[in-house]
Amino acid sequence: MKTTLKAMLGATALAAFTTTALADTTLTIATVNNGDMIRMQGLTEDFTKKNPGIELEWVTLEENVLRTRVTQDVATKGGQFDVMTIGTYEVPIWGKQGWLVSMNDLPGSYDVDDLLPAIRGGLTVDGELYAAPFYGESSMVMYRKDLMEKAGMEMPDAPSWHFIRRAAAKMTDKDEGIYGVCLRGKAGWGENMAFLTATANSFGARWFDEDWNAQFDSPEWKEALTFYIDMMTAYGPPGASSNGFNENLALFQQGKCGMWIDATVAASFVTNPKDSTVADKVGFALAPDNGLGKRGNWLWAWSLAIPAGTDDEDAAKKFIAWATSKDYLALVAENEGWANVPPGTRTSLYENAEYAKVPFAQMTLDSINAADPTAPTVDPVPYTGVQFVAIPEFQGIATAVGQQFSAALAGQTSVDDALANAQKLTTREMERAGYGK
Amino acid sequence: MATKASRSAARVMIAPSVLLLLGWMVIPLALTLYFSVLRYNLLMPGANPFIGVENYTYFLTDPAFTDAIINTLLLVGGVLTITVLGGIGLAILLDQPMWGQGIVRILVIAPFFVMPTVSALVWKNMFMNPVNGLFAHLASALGMQPFDFFAIAPLASIIGIVSWQWLPFATLILLTAMQSLDSEQLEAAEMDGAGPLARFRYIMLPHMARAITVVILIQTIFLLSIFAEILVTTNGGPGTASTNLTFLVYAESLLRFDVGTGSAGGVVAIILANIVAIFLMRMIGKNLDT
Amino acid sequence: MARAISTRRMALNTAIAWTIGAMIFFPILWTFLTSFKTEAQAIADPPVFFLFDWTTENYTTVQERSNYFRHFWNSVVISVGSTLIGLAIAIPAAWSMAFVPSKHTKNILMWMLSTKMLPPVGVLVPIYLIFRDLKLLDTQFGLIIVLTLINLPIIVWMLYTYFKEIPGEILEAARMDGATLRSEVLYILLPMAVPGIASTMLLNIILAWNEAFWTLNLTAAKAAPLTAFIASYSSPEGLFYAKLSAASTMAIAPILIMGWFSQKQLVRGLTFGAVK
Repeated sequence: MKTTLKAMLGATALAAFTTTALADTTLTIATVNNGDMIRMQGLTEDFTKKNPGIELEWVTLEENVLRTRVTQDVATKGGQFDVMTIGTYEVPIWGKQGWLVSMNDLPGSYDVDDLLPAIRGGLTVDGELYAAPFYGESSMVMYRKDLMEKAGMEMPDAPSWHFIRRAAAKMTDKDEGIYGVCLRGKAGWGENMAFLTATANSFGARWFDEDWNAQFDSPEWKEALTFYIDMMTAYGPPGASSNGFNENLALFQQGKCGMWIDATVAASFVTNPKDSTVADKVGFALAPDNGLGKRGNWLWAWSLAIPAGTDDEDAAKKFIAWATSKDYLALVAENEGWANVPPGTRTSLYENAEYAKVPFAQMTLDSINAADPTAPTVDPVPYTGVQFVAIPEFQGIATAVGQQFSAALAGQTSVDDALANAQKLTTREMERAGYGK
Repeated sequence: MATKASRSAARVMIAPSVLLLLGWMVIPLALTLYFSVLRYNLLMPGANPFIGVENYTYFLTDPAFTDAIINTLLLVGGVLTITVLGGIGLAILLDQPMWGQGIVRILVIAPFFVMPTVSALVWKNMFMNPVNGLFAHLASALGMQPFDFFAIAPLASIIGIVSWQWLPFATLILLTAMQSLDSEQLEAAEMDGAGPLARFRYIMLPHMARAITVVILIQTIFLLSIFAEILVTTNGGPGTASTNLTFLVYAESLLRFDVGTGSAGGVVAIILANIVAIFLMRMIGKNLDT
Repeated sequence: MARAISTRRMALNTAIAWTIGAMIFFPILWTFLTSFKTEAQAIADPPVFFLFDWTTENYTTVQERSNYFRHFWNSVVISVGSTLIGLAIAIPAAWSMAFVPSKHTKNILMWMLSTKMLPPVGVLVPIYLIFRDLKLLDTQFGLIIVLTLINLPIIVWMLYTYFKEIPGEILEAARMDGATLRSEVLYILLPMAVPGIASTMLLNIILAWNEAFWTLNLTAAKAAPLTAFIASYSSPEGLFYAKLSAASTMAIAPILIMGWFSQKQLVRGLTFGAVK
């Protein structure tokens, strides 16, 4: 006991005097635990070799935790991170607040004009690029070709929701543990609400009318939500109300889903034979529509940004330029194959003949191009953003609404009650925030 | 023994603890009180005007507020019931002569060392997941439909996980109490013809009363602010089915980044916690008076 | 114990206790086993118990992704540091409360405990701002301060209840025999107090090790302990049970092993005055 105590005391004292300053500059990078980011961590040697004197520290967090951590830090100017991974929703809001460093002065070799216009547009505020896209995504249908064949159906390139529903019915075989369709149900504005908002767009629904009145009492929302819940209850997997992107990915990789409508970036994971048991059986199609001229696909880019006030702006820019460059894409291709390159950011990638051989390349590009954040809905709206509303209040409201819809999916409330609650709480929040006055 | 000199020495010795805790309580509390009357949202910087009690009315009229209070009480009450009853049972069992008592004790106390985040992750994914979890495999092996824990019984599932974590603590304290029970007293009672139930009711239970109070007090302190388990498993849902007061305050201050309302919620939570505390201390006062 | 226990009774006790013990322990065992499986085996139905190809691949993957040893070291420093500082502050306080009680003693104790009821989320932003201004964000020292403060009430209380069990008469007897204050403390009080102090220390190391709110919110990279390490595994990335198990095992193993080895010391003082 005594020796342990002494050892512990000694250890504490030692630690107190140890300093970590080995390199000239240490960049602290906050990122999300998605496959592409984790791959990047494994490849950083390429960067540190080219840039001696810059050390990288990774803080890899789950998406929701990451969001609270970086938002809190940037808003209080805590200065704990030099590079932050944020998305299309945060960039314009934060950029407007002056919380981010402009990236307009990236070197010419970076070739900023090569970025996909739709993605670049979402990260630009008043002509200033505030973040560099690491990967971009839309959503699309991923389906099992073998099960589709077994069901005697053929997936069109641009299916309708009714086709999806019929296919789901035919593919479902619960005794075999196969569920026709897997969709997000886990509450969260970036989880079920991303999917449901985009889906609602294709049903002609919208979050707000032009005077910022909440629209959950509209028949379009009711139709969209009823459709989703009926289909998931009949043909979805058990526990759907706690499934988000990652949970569904796991299910699809295990061969438990007939169809999965989710982020295009998943395509490289479900076709990777190392992780996926169905790698060679996956087909792709555009996100479904309902004949109203809008498809249920979103637009998102996980991007790297520098919080204003960091001490190491130059080093941080160097890192971002490296991580989002053409060379990085080539580096990944060399190490892991073209299919695993972070998709959806650069035109040149889609012009590359090697990349064109990747089965989901074209469908990803088409999906991204089919999303229009400036006119997301059938009826006009006062906001931009496809699967979100680009106002600061949105994440709080949508998470609460997401809880209601998740409860409806779990069978704890009815569709009508969920919509009524959503309407009530959205109106309450918007009134407080002073919209529509 | 208590001379005047030793009294003042005693004051000096207590001072650091009291002052530090006073600082730890007063400074954040003062700031929280201050923020709670401001319109202060992290996402909307600028002037933070004084708005009086608006944050409080807003927090108290939140439709989720009543649910949160009920859930908090259910959570604390549920876990206390399970761990105290289970702890009494286990303490009596482990007090019996048996082979390998030491090893059993090691097995039983293990969950207490597990981080809340880890235990929630393990239970959620590897046991309660309705497709790949062990319980689902078990159900399908028995030819039943897998039970969807977090959709159908979210709060009960969380109570189960938290109880697993705290059962060892209750067991340990109650076991120590049991071991201090004079075995001759039990034997005498047995010879007088007292059945096992009577012995439990009239000898063991009174003997453990103090220990039970202690278990309730300590656990309540920790259970009132349960957070990690909810965040990892259900995020307070579906709906508000597993939102407790702590989680509601979290939703205000870290999901909506509304520091003003979050602070108001914090103040409300502190007041409610203190009501519980007064209640508890009355109870403890009776039992712990020495 | 004069009473003879029949072998049958003994066997029955043993069987019941072992069954319950095994059930309580099972989730930890299962996590440990799963950490050595491949991802496919980890979700296999029917589940495989021991007969699988044991692999350490998951541990390698986890280590590649995050610097385990630094997180581990931060956990050690923070939990041990905060416990030692807490003890240094609490021992005098508990001591004087136990031996020189006044009519306020109990109120002070109860007030101290009530500070623990402060919901952390409610005061996160104020603390974050203070830490920012004092440059304490993401430092071991900052976390040590916070954890010392949040666990101090428990430390004081535990020590108080333990010290109170030490009979004051022994001291007086020693004094009459001519013992100096120094030898009184050194030879009589200390040996009697050590079990209580040891047990308090152990319990607090465990509490500090497992604290997951402040440690996650006030750190980034440099001071992040194991609770932050596990936070990067809290949502799946495709099939991830085996990796999650490996990370979980790494996060809990040190404290579990410490707990097991020291359980006698832990239990000895873990009475909170519950035993008369």
